[in-house]
Amino acid sequence: MQIDQFKLKNSNVIADRAHIDMPLLSAFLVIFLISGIAIYSASNGSINFLIDHATKILISIFAMIIAAQLSPIDYKRIAPWLYFFCVLLLALVLVMGETRNNATRWLDLGITFQPSELMKIAMPLMIARYISNGTLPVQNLSIVFSLFIVLFPTIMILLQPDLGTSVLIAFSGLVIVFLSGIKKRYLLSGLLIFIASLPLIWRYIHPFQQKRVLTFLDPEKDPLGAGYHIIQSKIAIGSGGLFGKGWMNGTQGQLDFLPETTTDFIFSILAEEFGLIGISIVIAIYLFIVARGLLIAINSQDLFSRLLASSISLTFFIYVFVNMGMTTGILPVVGVPLPLISKGGTSSVTLMIGIGVLMSIRTHKRLVPK
Amino acid sequence: MEFKSSNTQETEKEVFFSRVLFCSLVILILASIIFTRLFYLMVVESDDYKLRSANNTIRTQSLPASRGLIFDRNGAILASNQPVFQLEMIPEQVIDINKTLQNLAELELISKDSFSEINKRIERNLQFKSIVLKRNLDDREVAIFANNRINFKGIDIKSRLSRHYPKGEAFAHALGYVGSISSGDYSRFDPGFYTGKEQIGKTSIERNFESYLRGQPGIQKLLVNVRGRVMETIGQDPFQSGNNLTLTIDSELQEVAYKAMGDQKGAVVILDASNGEILVMVSTPSFDPNQLSLGLTQDEFNTFTRNKNKPLFNRAIAGQYPPGSTIKPMLALGALEMGIVEPELYMPCEGKFLLPNYSRPFNDWETHGSVNVVRAIQASCDVYFYEVANEMGIEKMSLFLKKFNLGAPTKIDINPEKNGVVPNKEWKRNNFSSRENQSWYQGETIIAGIGQGYMLATPLQLAVATAIVANRGSTHKPHLLKAIENTKTGELQYIESEEINYLTDIKEENWDLVHQGMVAVVNERRGTAYGVFPDNSPIAGKTGSSQVFSIDRSSNKEVPLELRDHGLFVGYAPLDEPEIIVSIIVENGGGGRVSAAPVAEKIFNSYLGRTITNAD
Repeated sequence: MQIDQFKLKNSNVIADRAHIDMPLLSAFLVIFLISGIAIYSASNGSINFLIDHATKILISIFAMIIAAQLSPIDYKRIAPWLYFFCVLLLALVLVMGETRNNATRWLDLGITFQPSELMKIAMPLMIARYISNGTLPVQNLSIVFSLFIVLFPTIMILLQPDLGTSVLIAFSGLVIVFLSGIKKRYLLSGLLIFIASLPLIWRYIHPFQQKRVLTFLDPEKDPLGAGYHIIQSKIAIGSGGLFGKGWMNGTQGQLDFLPETTTDFIFSILAEEFGLIGISIVIAIYLFIVARGLLIAINSQDLFSRLLASSISLTFFIYVFVNMGMTTGILPVVGVPLPLISKGGTSSVTLMIGIGVLMSIRTHKRLVPK
Repeated sequence: MEFKSSNTQETEKEVFFSRVLFCSLVILILASIIFTRLFYLMVVESDDYKLRSANNTIRTQSLPASRGLIFDRNGAILASNQPVFQLEMIPEQVIDINKTLQNLAELELISKDSFSEINKRIERNLQFKSIVLKRNLDDREVAIFANNRINFKGIDIKSRLSRHYPKGEAFAHALGYVGSISSGDYSRFDPGFYTGKEQIGKTSIERNFESYLRGQPGIQKLLVNVRGRVMETIGQDPFQSGNNLTLTIDSELQEVAYKAMGDQKGAVVILDASNGEILVMVSTPSFDPNQLSLGLTQDEFNTFTRNKNKPLFNRAIAGQYPPGSTIKPMLALGALEMGIVEPELYMPCEGKFLLPNYSRPFNDWETHGSVNVVRAIQASCDVYFYEVANEMGIEKMSLFLKKFNLGAPTKIDINPEKNGVVPNKEWKRNNFSSRENQSWYQGETIIAGIGQGYMLATPLQLAVATAIVANRGSTHKPHLLKAIENTKTGELQYIESEEINYLTDIKEENWDLVHQGMVAVVNERRGTAYGVFPDNSPIAGKTGSSQVFSIDRSSNKEVPLELRDHGLFVGYAPLDEPEIIVSIIVENGGGGRVSAAPVAEKIFNSYLGRTITNAD
């Protein structure tokens, strides 16, 4: 396959001026529509819940538009500052964070938020900048240093504890190292080291995370306890069949057998009510978004933009994959929401900022003159 | 920014592109995995998950059917259903059971004595099923609980339909009663009929016609949420009420008979002579069936079972008594038929009968002088029938008495009926273990002639035997059930009982003689029941006294109550076309004339008085 086959045509001039990528925006509008339908059903038909959700969607669209206005040069410039600011906040979380449900993830600085969410943006920016500034092919020392940049905040997030977020953040950094052309034997040895250190990681992660993994391996062992979520989610999805039970008619969701219907398990609601056909459409839209993001990456003119855009796209896919994987019982329940369909919050804002960055890369083409 | 050659840039771009392609491949693989997984869950295994989803949310609940009503022959209600309130607990929902019970006891809703009983019930019961803490709350208790309901999670007042017997004790043995379903009951009946029900027929009509009365429970399909709360009823199959029963009982006459018995122990059975319908079935002492139906504690129930007067025992069908002189008309008929006696043959009665090899004479209760067959019945001369028995022998005697359905079940439509005994040599061989007890003695034949010794009969058997006498050889199988009304179709199914010809080739004049004797019992001077009834009553009868204990009759000492003779009276009226047959036994009444005959008098008075009034 040749790179030229994937050339993007110049798009709508007005949209370009506004730094908006119309295909991406359209796809997200469809996603938000699906989200509204799913959230309304998952909240047992609560209008207030829907209004609240819509408000958060509007805020995240707004954040996306703002993020799209900044040029990739701006992002490259602020990357280290943002990264170190996030590391500082994560350190503060460990010292004076707010604890909810046995996890210390929140920081109260006037407004309460999760610094790990901000790190989701900071991480790819920082690594993309670090790699793109170095010489290519990547030097061994740079690899070690990149690994440090990735693992330091990852471990801080793991300590909160937040397995799902730390895995995603680590992925968003490491994927850049991979894309930058790191030698295959390094990759292989890295993989081996990771597998070898699994027992060590196992000892350090929180007992409830251990339990989640164990439950994932055998959910029927404890059907009313830890395995309950997985079993009920599988029942919801499986009972949806090919065509689903119809909107608002899913018994698993409507009668509360399924937990966390507006967040982690909203995919199960969609599957139960709209069937395999319905969720195939959802999957297709997600794949379209990821493909579009990768096209933008291929078509961007500098290394920083390429790495950043592909990291954002691939991480977005991993979000989707992890959520669908855990609701269908092929991955442990790690608390990753379905991107932009689950109930809105800081995570949807950071995700849309990421999309805004993609649009910025697509529409600011004069970073390196031809 | 460092300078990069365009060459380096190109290679770097190539590497990047190949890695992105690799990533895209991985994406496609991962997406395929997800899709395959979804296909597996939603298509291949879908039916299984659909079933599990339905099992999660659909509960079927049984709607208990209301029990059929019971009426008497004239449509008076004998058993109905009425709501009662009871305090119930679902153990699963109660946080601290002991504390909750303690608090209920403080409100005086339950007594502390019942704690152990309740705890036993909790252990035996499924945790999510309701158990009864206290039955039959009165208005005050309902109000107290209502005011404190908020403090008692998992406890509630439920109203249920409970059996009600408006006429109470007088009808208890005829109707039977319902009670809590025991494991033994479940083995008799399909438990499927009793989900959501608490009561089942325990005795008599309520038990024997359980399958008609219980009805068919309905089913309700409910949609429940994860906490078991009912969200919606998604389907309902209504219950089918039990069938209503009409009994042959005449409640007016039943009450007369019950009242006439007063506080005497015994039984009264009255048959319709023409068709075997049981108009009256009384057994005393009785009990309040309402009390039993509402549910008793084990202790309360024990007071019934341990009572030495046995109030729960249905003497009318299960009480076996020596029939005494009530068999004399039948023996007289046998003697006439067999040519042992002639109608006008007079025999002397000197108050005793002597048998060779027996040192002690067989005493009569009175010295009768010279008697023929009619007088012997009228005055109940023992010596006459000692002679008859001696002549006839035990084998012929038992054969003949069995033709009156004695010693065999009447096959009445309720349980548990006893067979009685008509002894003969074979019977004795089969029923005694030691060799010397197995042989038959002549003296035993003699006392069998006056219905003593091994001979036993139930009041119902005596009624049937008397009906055969009154009807000149035939009668119908006795029964309590007159009609079944299908509550769904309103259709009435009448129960016809077959006529049985017990004796066919008896000479009419011999029947006449026997009847003549029985009329004389009631209406002629020296008749054993003479003076008890108004003069010239259209009533025929026979008194009897059965010995409980061998007493020297010559002494006039006061006999302890429980050793006194049982008093019996059997009879029929009117004379030409008998309508009712009466059989009465009064335990330890001290002779038929003084105890049973007065009861009969009240009954006949009521019945005949009524027919006369009706005729007007």
